[in-house]
Amino acid sequence: MMLLRLISWPYFRKHIVRSLLTIAGIVLGVAVFVGMHTANQGVLFAFNSTVDRIAGKTELQVTAGETGFDEAVLESVQSASTVRVAVPVIEATVDSQIAGQGNLLVLGTDMTGDRSLRDYDLEDADEAIIDDPLVFLAQPDSIMLAKEFAEKNDLAVNDTVTLGTVLGPRAFTVRGIMRSSGLTSAFGGNLAIMDIYAAQHMFGRGRTFDRIDLATRDGASIEKAQEELRQLLGPGFQIDAPAGRGRQFEAMTASYSIMINISSLFALFIGMFIIYNSFAIAVTQRRSEIGILRALGATGGQVRGLFLLESAVTGLIGSLGGVLLGLVMARGIAASIGGVMKDVYGVAQRADEVATDPALLALSLIIGIGTSLVAAFIPARQAARVDPVQALQKGKYQVLSVGESRLRALAAAAFVITSILCLTAASSRVAFYVGYALAILAALLLGPLLAQWLGRALRPVLKWMRPVEGALAADSLIQTPRRTSASVAALMLSLALVTAFAGMARASYDSILDWTTTTLNPDLFVSPSPEIVSRTLRFPGPMGETLAALPGIARVQKVRNARILFNGAPVMIVAVEIGSVAEMAPSPPIEGDATEMYRLAAAGEGVMISDNLAKLHGLHAGQVLTIPAPHGLISLPIVGVVLDYSDQQGSILVDRTVYERYWRDDSINLFRVYLTPDASPADAKAAILQRFASERQVFVFTNRELRDYILRITDQWFGLTTVQIAVAVFVAILGIVNTLTVSIIDRRRELGVLKAVGGLRGQIRRTIWMEAVSIGTLGLILGFALGALNLYYILQIVEHDIAGMRLEYVFPVTTMVALVPTILAAAFVASLWPAESAVRGSLVEALEYE
Amino acid sequence: MSRAVALWIALVVVLAPDGVAAQDARQIVQEVQKRSNVRSQRYEGVLQVFNAKGKVSDKRWVLERIGSYGSSKMILRFTVPAEVKGVALLVVNHTDRASDQWMWTPSIERDRRIAFQDRSQRFFGTDFSFEDLEERDVDQFDYSILGDETIDGESCWKIQSVPRQAKSSQYTRSIVWVRKATYTFAQLDSYIKEQVVRRLDYRDMANVQGVWTARRLEMSDLRTGSRTRLTLEQLQYNVPMKDEDFTLQALRRQS
Repeated sequence: MMLLRLISWPYFRKHIVRSLLTIAGIVLGVAVFVGMHTANQGVLFAFNSTVDRIAGKTELQVTAGETGFDEAVLESVQSASTVRVAVPVIEATVDSQIAGQGNLLVLGTDMTGDRSLRDYDLEDADEAIIDDPLVFLAQPDSIMLAKEFAEKNDLAVNDTVTLGTVLGPRAFTVRGIMRSSGLTSAFGGNLAIMDIYAAQHMFGRGRTFDRIDLATRDGASIEKAQEELRQLLGPGFQIDAPAGRGRQFEAMTASYSIMINISSLFALFIGMFIIYNSFAIAVTQRRSEIGILRALGATGGQVRGLFLLESAVTGLIGSLGGVLLGLVMARGIAASIGGVMKDVYGVAQRADEVATDPALLALSLIIGIGTSLVAAFIPARQAARVDPVQALQKGKYQVLSVGESRLRALAAAAFVITSILCLTAASSRVAFYVGYALAILAALLLGPLLAQWLGRALRPVLKWMRPVEGALAADSLIQTPRRTSASVAALMLSLALVTAFAGMARASYDSILDWTTTTLNPDLFVSPSPEIVSRTLRFPGPMGETLAALPGIARVQKVRNARILFNGAPVMIVAVEIGSVAEMAPSPPIEGDATEMYRLAAAGEGVMISDNLAKLHGLHAGQVLTIPAPHGLISLPIVGVVLDYSDQQGSILVDRTVYERYWRDDSINLFRVYLTPDASPADAKAAILQRFASERQVFVFTNRELRDYILRITDQWFGLTTVQIAVAVFVAILGIVNTLTVSIIDRRRELGVLKAVGGLRGQIRRTIWMEAVSIGTLGLILGFALGALNLYYILQIVEHDIAGMRLEYVFPVTTMVALVPTILAAAFVASLWPAESAVRGSLVEALEYE
Repeated sequence: MSRAVALWIALVVVLAPDGVAAQDARQIVQEVQKRSNVRSQRYEGVLQVFNAKGKVSDKRWVLERIGSYGSSKMILRFTVPAEVKGVALLVVNHTDRASDQWMWTPSIERDRRIAFQDRSQRFFGTDFSFEDLEERDVDQFDYSILGDETIDGESCWKIQSVPRQAKSSQYTRSIVWVRKATYTFAQLDSYIKEQVVRRLDYRDMANVQGVWTARRLEMSDLRTGSRTRLTLEQLQYNVPMKDEDFTLQALRRQS
């Protein structure tokens, strides 16, 4: 500790800017990690918390995916000997129609029995309502609000609140306001309760329930009740504790979490290189100091310990800063993830509370300090090996020894070979990820060598541009590869990340555009909700016939989609009139024969599955798919694999007849409308809106609007990635500033000599500018090269572990071209302050340096 | 003793005591049921709920009932206040098991079954529970005489009834006071474990078409301090009614 105070602290104070820049590297790395994970956890926590708070005393929930099930199931559940109380529930997330308030979670319950599970503690209501649910039940416009929502919107008992329903916006009378409790804080307090049968009516659920909440009899174990209900209801139902819904939500958002983890890892890696850079320079600069310490009797271990301690302290300070910044970032990121969950996955939730997880914060500190220690390990080891005699002599020690270069090259070669071998072991995902990590490590190991070679290659160009400044700049790069390479490595990693994400985004856009062009060719789409992915509201089946009878409409296709559990994973079941689809928008199968595929699927003798489902679950045409449904187990052969991006987790396409038979549900999520050749989409849209204006809420999208909508939500999915990329680039720029600052300090004597022999200020400035732009150029070249490799790995991850999407490898040239001036300009700007510092420094001091 | 016997809707009746030699509890209760037996009945009920603070809320309904005791059917339709007008309840009693009950909500044209598990819930804010609307056959209970007591100056048998199947009722046991003179109920206390939770008083006795009937029934919730008074108006027995008017289809149709 004394060494820290006597030796490290004065050095820190003397190089405060550089030290702060070093800390900033860790701050940003940890901040991205904390921000991303806290936000992700916040979203999961919000979902789980809503589930928990709504669950009340519920011990088990009976569901059939999102599809819901016939009311009659309730009596079966209530008849079970292990069940004490079972109550039906409908959950709907509806537009509160109040500016800034977003959605309201409406819980439809049967008030006669539900109080056994949930406590509706009313704070304010008509006396009659408190004790007498009769008025509440008799009037379908009755609603109870959470106190939190009522207070926010200045609502009192007997006021009305307008909500979006399948019948259009409807005014509901506030019959009671629930006292603040666990229940009322669900969904951020935006919670309302209404009668379940009124909810069926208002949200187009027919005579179905979403789920049944139940509590077991005294003495009956949960497991026994689960077993009894499984026997009673069959395999089409899931009987799980409320927490099971959280697990499904987590599974659904796993792909997003993987992307977040990759980004966080890159951010930390980039931060690590900044630290490495700083410590490597510090060891070089402090050689004489180390020499003195060694001459005074300090052991190599003590010197190493001193540097590691410094790095640990740096890591700790940076991590603490990172945690604080991350927590600030988390709220914004959580809102963004929440938007993605709602718009991409159709699962609304509110992450109003971004809770800090002590375990995550502890892990962040450990990771921050650990990263710092790892980054400082090599410089610390070098410091420990410093020979006291040599150390007290002045000179440069930034060069790489031939032996070290060879060792790096050998290690890199070994990693590359192992990485290639790992790729050949295609069946093992562990081997794949090990190969990925080794490929990145190999690139990092080769970084200094490549930077040196490229620096040499760049020298003639720089010299041609500016004979003096160019040569000086190039020599600085070549002669100090360790200093340069860390910045180049940070930049390289950032650009590799940018390349991969940009490439993935481009490929995703292209695939989705192709799919929309091939498959989504109807002229109009009619939805009960302004958000097409939302499945809260549904149309009744017979509405299709009314729609088809309108002038200008040639054909109407009914679409019902809902998430179900297949092999334990949430996947989308899409029920359409396959025969009609085959006629209007046949999709060439990836597996199977097109004619047979459509014939068998339309006849209800087979199912089609999406390519991503096939990839994620290892399915192929010809295999028999067993799908659990409320009214039996569907066992049908896979008659074809097609491209379908209805859902990231994959989709199963069945004919409507199959769906109606096994789910007994004729409701509709979306109508696809084809017009007669002479009809105009605008006129048909107006006619549809007019026809249903007085009956129900209808949203009509033209083909163009739907495509724009899909691309918008695709943008949203990649939105957070753009932020991550921006952070990564920012960290890389920070690395350049760091390097240049160090470079100036390191070269004060050299620059002083240059000034002493008549070097002009302009020349010195240009030297530093050129060095900065050269670092940017090296980073760009190596970053693009590593990016090309990284893109391959990321596409593999997307295909096998995230979305099962077979994306075409296309290098994102446009984005990369746009990045060239950005990075070079950033490098130039980053050099302005160091350049000014160099020209304004005292000549005497500079010549005395070292 | 069957709570059904105590049921306000059953409109406890008494025939002349002559010739009855009911010496044990079961025979007494059977006799009460026998004397109250009518083909059908109809009345307009005035329901007043007095909460613990003394506030009163009023409702009115029309009740029609057909069939013999324990296997009867009844439909109850609310008429006042306007917000609940048309809401109806169909109760189909069974001699060997708990009744089936459905509620009809005209505004959404939906019926809903009142699940057995919910029978212990309060009947729409009154101090009666859904279970209290049931008629239960005498064979579903074990009876014993606890002694003689006087209620409002009238000599009564004090009889305890315990459900044979413990899970079939929310109540652990009940104690009923039967007027010796008229074979009518005077009071019914219902227990959960050892605590008396509800008390039903039978008042304003009148002989209607030869049936001794309590025209005012008052149920007290002894845990909350609230009470509900049901006053029977325009009571008629043996009114012509059809069995098919007491089905779920009829419930939907007639509203």
